[in-house]
Amino acid sequence: MSLKVSALLDGQLEPAEVRPTLEELAADAALRDRYTLYGLVGDALRANPTPDDGFSIRIFERMKREAVKVEPGFDPLKG
Amino acid sequence: MQSVERRYAAFRVDEKQADAELVRLAQGGDERAFQALVVKYQRRIARHVARYVRRAADVEEVVQDAFIRAYRGLASFRGESSFYSWLYRIATNAAFSFLKKTAGEVEVDERSDEGFEPGVSDEQSPERVLFARQIGDAVERAMGRLQPELAEALVLFEVEGKSYREIAQMLGTPIGTVRTRIFRAREFIARRLEPVLGPVRDRRW
Repeated sequence: MSLKVSALLDGQLEPAEVRPTLEELAADAALRDRYTLYGLVGDALRANPTPDDGFSIRIFERMKREAVKVEPGFDPLKG
Repeated sequence: MQSVERRYAAFRVDEKQADAELVRLAQGGDERAFQALVVKYQRRIARHVARYVRRAADVEEVVQDAFIRAYRGLASFRGESSFYSWLYRIATNAAFSFLKKTAGEVEVDERSDEGFEPGVSDEQSPERVLFARQIGDAVERAMGRLQPELAEALVLFEVEGKSYREIAQMLGTPIGTVRTRIFRAREFIARRLEPVLGPVRDRRW
């Protein structure tokens, strides 16, 4: 399964494999750790080895707090 | 010359398609798909924002703004560029909006005479800098112990920006082998990174 997580990170899964892999990730914290760690390895190789100290979780928490939704017609590059 | 252009074109197509399915699912409201994109790109976006914004807390706010604007505006993303370059432009705009907003409340920086070093956040604690160095060192040590063909595939992908397909062509192996080598390389390094991350390991998402 970690092999699929690695390929997901690289955008190299078959489209049909993406959703099932996301479901596996949602159900398995250890797999989510793999996804995060693999990403950290890549950033470390590009000389950007900052650990995620909850940075993404705070984004998700704020999105939940502000009930952020996809808004048809909203252009994020304007305004 | 033509073949170089063709190779480059192939790479761009790959890059554009890389996140296509995650983006498509996120556009349909699948938050997990968007979360996977956030976890993937947050460090790169933060580094980009830190070129404009100095304080670590401000960088975080701008990165949050950028991802939130991106999510709200996902329907307008048509895949004409890669998702990352779209995100990058949103983050640039968010950084400028932030600078404009705070322009009226700029505080005097006593060290401004010493010159501003772009890309260096002024709130990077010594512990954090040290920690980043330890991670970098651990990755470097692990790379040194890795089988050369695994290290080669990983570097071609992560550092050289080659697609799986290009790497397969360069190394004369099937794409599946590239996928496995990159995975095995990451897993080897990740196992050696875990003890370094120790008690302050990444918080789970």
